[in-house]
Amino acid sequence: MNRLGLRARVTAAFAIGALLLAAAMALFSYDLTRRSLLDERERAAIRAAHFDAAVVRAGLDTDTPDVAEVLRSLDTGSARRPLLQRDGRWYARTAEIGASSVPPELQRMVRSGEPAVQRIRTDGQPALLVGVPLSPTTSYYELTSLREVEQTFQLVGLTLTAVAIMVAGSGAALGWYATRHSLRPLTAVADAAERIAAGDLSTRLDPATDPDLTRLSTSFNRMVEQLIRHIERDRRFAADVSHELRSPLQTLAAAASVLDRRREHHDERTATAAGLVADEIARFQRLVDDLIELARTEQPVHRERVDVEALARDACRTHGLPDELVRSAPAGGEWLVDRRRVAQILLNLVENAVRYAGGPVEVRLACDDEGTGIIEVDDDGPGVPAPDREVIFARFVRGRAAHARAGTDGTGLGLALVAGHAAMHGGRATVTDRPEGGARFRVELPGCLP
Amino acid sequence: MTAVLVIEDDDRIRLALLLALEEEGYTAYGAASAEEGLRRQRQDPADNVLVDLMLPGLDGFDCIRQLRRDDDVPIVVVSARDDTHDIVAALEAGADDYLVKPVAIKELSARLRALRRRGRAVVTSTAVQVFGDLEISADAGEVRRAGRPVAVTRTEFRLLCELAQHAGKVLSRQQLLQRVWGYDTGDERLVDVHVGRLRQKIEEDPGNPRYLVTLRGLGYKLQR
Repeated sequence: MNRLGLRARVTAAFAIGALLLAAAMALFSYDLTRRSLLDERERAAIRAAHFDAAVVRAGLDTDTPDVAEVLRSLDTGSARRPLLQRDGRWYARTAEIGASSVPPELQRMVRSGEPAVQRIRTDGQPALLVGVPLSPTTSYYELTSLREVEQTFQLVGLTLTAVAIMVAGSGAALGWYATRHSLRPLTAVADAAERIAAGDLSTRLDPATDPDLTRLSTSFNRMVEQLIRHIERDRRFAADVSHELRSPLQTLAAAASVLDRRREHHDERTATAAGLVADEIARFQRLVDDLIELARTEQPVHRERVDVEALARDACRTHGLPDELVRSAPAGGEWLVDRRRVAQILLNLVENAVRYAGGPVEVRLACDDEGTGIIEVDDDGPGVPAPDREVIFARFVRGRAAHARAGTDGTGLGLALVAGHAAMHGGRATVTDRPEGGARFRVELPGCLP
Repeated sequence: MTAVLVIEDDDRIRLALLLALEEEGYTAYGAASAEEGLRRQRQDPADNVLVDLMLPGLDGFDCIRQLRRDDDVPIVVVSARDDTHDIVAALEAGADDYLVKPVAIKELSARLRALRRRGRAVVTSTAVQVFGDLEISADAGEVRRAGRPVAVTRTEFRLLCELAQHAGKVLSRQQLLQRVWGYDTGDERLVDVHVGRLRQKIEEDPGNPRYLVTLRGLGYKLQR
């Protein structure tokens, strides 16, 4: 399962928290506003209704009152609409309202002499109905439209919703910003670790940047120091072993060459023995070289500008092959890699092809768009069967073809070194079939200059 | 007969090298320390000197520097150390070549032959070539800067002549290795270090060379 990152989670928490808070605030203030606005409106409506009722009562207090005229004379504006019930008959200024507008319970209350108020809806609009008893047979009602108030509520509601959303957004932004700041030390650690992995062992964290992170910085730096001590110890060990093994080998090589020179002075048995000694010294020397190299594989990579094409031609010439075998893409020339390691990768791949496949048919160099240098060495030998393609890069493993063709001549370390050097560059080594037959060894090394 | 002096503190290695070199037709002398080797070279100079780096007393680097002070004898380092640092330091001290033990005697012999060829006069088309205040006199084997002679080793001189012969043209490191050192393949650091040493001697500001310039990714060029 792909879990959300720390930063995404913190940001989401901030956003949700801000949203909840803003929503609660919005609901509370909406409710408060609505209630106080409505109350005030209601009080005003009741006051106005009672005033109008007094006017109506005065108008009706004659012998032959003209009810319609009395109602028409009321100064109510458009918001308030009067309605009068007198002796069972309903009077209104317009036809839109009448007996049906007044709920029966309200009529009963008012007829019993009690003034009453009720919120109703007429024609789909909210309104306030105020009933005032004028006499046992006369009730005055006034309908006050609440449409404007309702519109105000809608506007307030919309505004508050927008504010809540904005607050939630700001919360998310704040969370993002805060995590960026609080995660910055982690980013620094990650950057430093990457630089160290890339071979820059002088990288340290500054413990003075933040008192809360001193422990992290100090222990990180201590870890790097320890790493350097380990690397240095390994390096010194490899150097000592190298020196101690190479010195006697020099004596052996020189002495063997004397024996070889004097071959014709020896009898056959002595000559055979001397030949064996010379051959084994040569093999032992290769083995020592490869072992020392293998011990050094883990050392940091020293990247510099390297003319890989020249190294490839060099590798071919070393094995007595024409350097026209090297084909380089236009941008394949200069890479930012470890010269010694890349030289050895090329030498070992060419040697591998010579030893087990009768020599390479092409050595290709290319550089892809991501800056990964590609070395491909093709041969037209027996190829490498699929099950052996991983294991062939392990130490002291020789392919099946190797046993068949070259016996025990190789050290069994050449391809392990290729894979090791590639890995230390952050790349890899693989082998596939060459389409025209044979094997295709491919090494990818990040660090070419596209 | 070419005389070779082997400065090597390990008795067995020294003995084996002397035997093998004599078998190859050289006259070989041994010295167990740098001091002994320097004394021997002053009294009876050999044509080539092989030096180990780890020596008791005066070490190999100092030994090379002292040899260089008196003489332009070809010096080959034969050491079990193969750190880039050591190789560059030895070449900078004045060695002409660096070989890592164990060296096959055939290889050693080939390198010594190449060094000897380098020692002979270089055939150039023009006797004296002038680059600004720099004069290269191939016949006399002399280099002068602002009229004053500059002491260069044979390898440096050969390198300078090769570049002067192709003045204004780029020579790759591999081309220089082939033409100056006589190697079909070799360590390009040899070229870089010798170019650096040559700059110290012929350039006014070696860090910002006027005559011997680097063309990144291509090689070196001597320009007027």
